[in-house]
Amino acid sequence: VSSRPSRRQRRRVTPGPSTLLALYPPAWRRRYGDELDALILDIQADGRDTGWRVRADLVRSAARERLRGGGDPSRRVRGGSSLVLWAWALFALGGAIVAKTSEHWQRTLPADSAASAAFSGLVVISVAVAAVITGGITVTLPAIWRLLRAGGWPRIRARVLCATALTVTVVAATAGLVAWAGRLSPAGRNGHDHLYVAAFLCWAALSATCLLAWTAVGARTATEIRCGRAVLRTHTCIAGMVAIAMAAMTAATLAWWTIVGNRAPGALTGGSALAHPSALVPQLMFAAALMVLATAIAAVGAIRAERAFTELSRFVTRG
Amino acid sequence: VSSTRARSNDPPLLILTSLASGEKHGYALLQDIEQFAGVVLGPGTLYGAIARLEERRLIEPVDESGRRRPYRLTAAGARELSDTLAELRMITDEGGRRLAARTSFAGGGA
Repeated sequence: VSSRPSRRQRRRVTPGPSTLLALYPPAWRRRYGDELDALILDIQADGRDTGWRVRADLVRSAARERLRGGGDPSRRVRGGSSLVLWAWALFALGGAIVAKTSEHWQRTLPADSAASAAFSGLVVISVAVAAVITGGITVTLPAIWRLLRAGGWPRIRARVLCATALTVTVVAATAGLVAWAGRLSPAGRNGHDHLYVAAFLCWAALSATCLLAWTAVGARTATEIRCGRAVLRTHTCIAGMVAIAMAAMTAATLAWWTIVGNRAPGALTGGSALAHPSALVPQLMFAAALMVLATAIAAVGAIRAERAFTELSRFVTRG
Repeated sequence: VSSTRARSNDPPLLILTSLASGEKHGYALLQDIEQFAGVVLGPGTLYGAIARLEERRLIEPVDESGRRRPYRLTAAGARELSDTLAELRMITDEGGRRLAARTSFAGGGA
């Protein structure tokens, strides 16, 4: 037991450690922020040490709360799964950029088995992940149905209508773009027709917005539904699997990029007229950064879901 | 507090033990825990444990308003504390028995 310091040893009250409360998640801060702030002031007013140990304790605790999320465990499992869903959407955007930038790369580098293996692995894993995510959505359908029957439609209506409107627009834009492309020469389709390039970039931005809008529908629905433990367990497993798959796909992409970049950098842009002489293609660098970021977000989401489900299991078991 | 992590310096266990003698706010909890267990909890650790315990409805705030909000043990919290202490007692009793047997064996052999 430490002895209480004398009045002479007491420090002047300063707001120092309280500023670290900003590191906590907003929801946690709204609930406990004032109390924790009052406690820190009490500790300071009593002349106790609020030096690096207290600050380290606050930083560590804030990091733990950030990793853990807030609220009840079942809500946190769904929150973690939603985070993985957002990460997957970002990852898909990165993957689409890689695919578009390097399309027809096999024509330039047809006999490279290592690059082909890495690229094939990437495609196989992405199909498997899409199937797993579809499975996750399928097991959630009964909970979504219960939400709709309980009058939950107004809570997700705005997002669903927005995503639907975007989907209709993307379909119409795709049809128009395909018809336009059919009238152009291969060179015109690959960068020589600047008006077509501008239209294609607008279409890509619209498609990305549409993907993010449906992800927002999924995330919003996840916060509204009530799932049983079996479904939550499935979501937790899927979140972990998707995070691991994303790490593997990021590694496969980087391996493919390195191999092709060393042997034929021009193939990274499909060997087109716009072929970059260096392996450091700006679009690929952006896509790789997006994929790495998405993988990190997915890892955080999967860990959150796993921890919350473990806590939920303990809570239920111990009643 | 979990049966797999029942340790005498486990923050949730210390908080439940402290609240067993009556409601307390954050600083009173820190002082009490330091006095009876000799453990100085950091403010972040204390409120992290309070948040878990409140989520599991083992403790509850007495007053819903104010910056120095006192907490008290719920009936579920009292049961949890009782179960955990029983587990700890079982371990200390077993440890004591084994030590005593070891001592008597060593004494008999000398």
